[in-house]
Amino acid sequence: MGFDPLTQTVLSSSIDKMAFGLTLNVGYDSLGLVMIMLTNAIIPLILLSNWNRELAGNKLFTALVFFMQLGLLGVFTAQDGIMFYIFWEFTLLPIFLILYWFGAKENNKVLFKFFIYTLVGSLAMLLSFIALGINAESFAYQDLVNVQLSQKMACWVMSGFLLAFAIKIPLFPFHTWQPATYTSSPMAGTMLLSALMLKMALYGMMKWMLPLTSEGIEVMKWPVIILGAIGIVYGAVIAIKQNDIKTLFAFASISHLGLIAAGIMVFNTAAWSGAIIQIINHSLISIGLFLAADILEKRTGTRKLDELGGIAKIAPRFGFWFAAIVFAALSIPFSAGFIGEFILIKELFSFHALIGILAVSSLILGAVYMLRSYQLSMFGPPKLTSFQDLTWNETAVFVVLSISILMIGLFSSYIIDYTAPAIRVLTAITPSNQLIIE
Amino acid sequence: MDALIVIFITGLIGLFTGLLKKPTLNLIITLCGLAVAFALQLNYSFYQSPFANYQVLEFNVHQLYFSLLAILFTAVIVVGGFGYFKRDASHTGDYYGLLLFSLCGAICLIGFTDLFMFFLGLEILSIPIYVMVGIKKQDVLSAEASIKYFFTGAFATAILLFGIALLYGATGSFNLNEIRTVIQSGEYHTSYLLIGMLFMLGAFLFKVGAVPFHFWGPDVYQGAPEIVTAFMATVVKLAALYAFYSLFNITFQELGYFWIGALYFAIALSLFLGYLGALKQTKFKRLLAYSSISNTGYALFALLSTSNSSIGSLWIFLVGYGFSTIALLTISMAISNDDDEIAAFKGIGYKHPFIGFIMLISLLSLAGIPPLTGFFGKFSLLMNAYSNHLWLVILALISSAIGAFLYLRLIVLSLTKDESDKTITLNFWQYLVLSICAIGILGGGFILAI
Repeated sequence: MGFDPLTQTVLSSSIDKMAFGLTLNVGYDSLGLVMIMLTNAIIPLILLSNWNRELAGNKLFTALVFFMQLGLLGVFTAQDGIMFYIFWEFTLLPIFLILYWFGAKENNKVLFKFFIYTLVGSLAMLLSFIALGINAESFAYQDLVNVQLSQKMACWVMSGFLLAFAIKIPLFPFHTWQPATYTSSPMAGTMLLSALMLKMALYGMMKWMLPLTSEGIEVMKWPVIILGAIGIVYGAVIAIKQNDIKTLFAFASISHLGLIAAGIMVFNTAAWSGAIIQIINHSLISIGLFLAADILEKRTGTRKLDELGGIAKIAPRFGFWFAAIVFAALSIPFSAGFIGEFILIKELFSFHALIGILAVSSLILGAVYMLRSYQLSMFGPPKLTSFQDLTWNETAVFVVLSISILMIGLFSSYIIDYTAPAIRVLTAITPSNQLIIE
Repeated sequence: MDALIVIFITGLIGLFTGLLKKPTLNLIITLCGLAVAFALQLNYSFYQSPFANYQVLEFNVHQLYFSLLAILFTAVIVVGGFGYFKRDASHTGDYYGLLLFSLCGAICLIGFTDLFMFFLGLEILSIPIYVMVGIKKQDVLSAEASIKYFFTGAFATAILLFGIALLYGATGSFNLNEIRTVIQSGEYHTSYLLIGMLFMLGAFLFKVGAVPFHFWGPDVYQGAPEIVTAFMATVVKLAALYAFYSLFNITFQELGYFWIGALYFAIALSLFLGYLGALKQTKFKRLLAYSSISNTGYALFALLSTSNSSIGSLWIFLVGYGFSTIALLTISMAISNDDDEIAAFKGIGYKHPFIGFIMLISLLSLAGIPPLTGFFGKFSLLMNAYSNHLWLVILALISSAIGAFLYLRLIVLSLTKDESDKTITLNFWQYLVLSICAIGILGGGFILAI
């Protein structure tokens, strides 16, 4: 089936509405298709990096990963508010079970925090959907977009969505579940969380939150962008001080995603193009970084940076490919991150100079924590006598990631042009003042 | 009416075949009776009854759906309790007979058009339950539960009768339609009517087990055998909720300004006290009792909205809630958890993946996680209440998060890795019941698509 990025592809559309205006609309635009392709590319990479590890032959684990994929594809193809909510919640279940069964022992407290945190956010989103759906003909996407809200109402509805998305992303004051969850989960769980689940929330902001409540954007722009900017600096500063390499990458993730979220809230086509590039880039580098962290942990038995050192000498291949991913995470030119961060920072700068300056600090601070983590673990006097170098599957993952990052960096215009029609539709929804519902 | 007669006769037969001490025979007779009753109810509108119609029981489409659900729940409970009946063969006949008599009362409560029939139904429903709660004669807790339930229940009934009397004094009729006409015309004695209605409201809140009349719930649920607990939590609650709905939301609709305020507080308190009370429990049935208080709070949302779809939402909610509760209690029976400790559930899902799966979906459905039936029930109830009772909806969502924490703890407990060598086996009937419950829990959402 060919795909024309200028149109919406409809996979299923119900003519008769069900009770309460539920519909079975499924389809995707070019933004959705990019997310679908990302999901379908990342899941095999996660399974490949998991090859030859203790979970590789576990049927239950693999089944849960595929359930996760089902939920994610549902989120990216749902064209009905409640269906989006159902799949959104559905993804919580497999990830919870993966973390619970295969994560660190005695991590119940962490998991409860994660589950309840995200559930509270989702319930707020459900309330927002109900508030919109009551006034709409049905929960179908287009009907929800057509609802005209007063500015005050739109702000309330948007806050409901925002709570759900801010917890998942996570934005600055809602991030407390994240580092502990990352460190206590198995490698594949961390990868699923950071590479795909968080992207669900960013996609939700672009596809659902902003178009549906466009009347409230002018008011809600500032708080969210400021929170994003705080997150950029906060995540980076905390990451610099970390000794645990997985926690370091978790805080780095808060910093990167704060930038994307702030960029999305600028609400124009250029910023969104940058956001999409950066979403793809972040998925790829987080796979690489967490794979490297897991390799270090599995082969040395520790994640503490001060207990590692000199590995590059013993394992040169690992040293090289880890460096490649670290440089990609630094957004050096020719990597995908360069394009994405450059566009985002430029747009934030034109939004407000101070925000732009805070956003730029992510590049500098990012260099500090990334290079520090690399230097402390790979260089210096060797503290280990033996370290098994990369196996074939790990090499393959690193090669695929590096090449993709490089290619996206060189040919990012293809992705930008491809998603441009969808972005133009989504950002062109401007508030009008007729038929306002209090 | 015919279904009622069939159920009653089946109950009588069950009572006497119990003397043969052949539980399998008894089960087959009971299931046949229930199947015939189910078929009769299903064909209610196409079928000419050979009996005279006294106009006291009428079934419209909603009432049919509710009575079908009550019969289905009873059948599932009877099948699920078969292992328990076999162990205690001397009481098998009593259980079958009393459960079916109680079901007769439930159907009267669903179909009544007249306050006489309503009162009869309530008593027919309650009295067998008083007996069944205390059927474990050697057990102190069971006896305590029975006495407590009987006395508080009798007290509630007295208040209800007082309310009915005042209502009759105010409107001059027992018939629901006539009462409604009088209320609409405004020619009634206001203070009698309002006080009578308030008394009835109190009695109803007692029967459905909502705060502030919920104190009997945990003790009675804990003392009663699992079978009876399951019956009380599903069929009795279903019938009482429907009667509540048809009296208050249909007959007293015009007086909503008066009773909705009271109900508002009852719901808000139920939503929180139930789950908060459940957090500290160590006994499984007590926990279920507290969680059922909160679930009653959700179910009562159906009374707040005058829209036509609210009764449908209540039905879907009860499907999810009922099947989950039955599944959990069946599992509790299957692991022969006589001490009723929550700790006994540790690792059973890991030992027996089928049980683990059922525990997972039934608890998640109770917590309202999509795409399970419990979610659709809560969602549609809250949808209906949203426009007039926004704050209550927000409270419900907050309490839902507390509930999710509560149920998640149980899920985690049952799925922990357990290295001990105890084994769990399910018999055929328990597999059957759990599978039916799984279908109900997983597929309830499709009801909305019809």
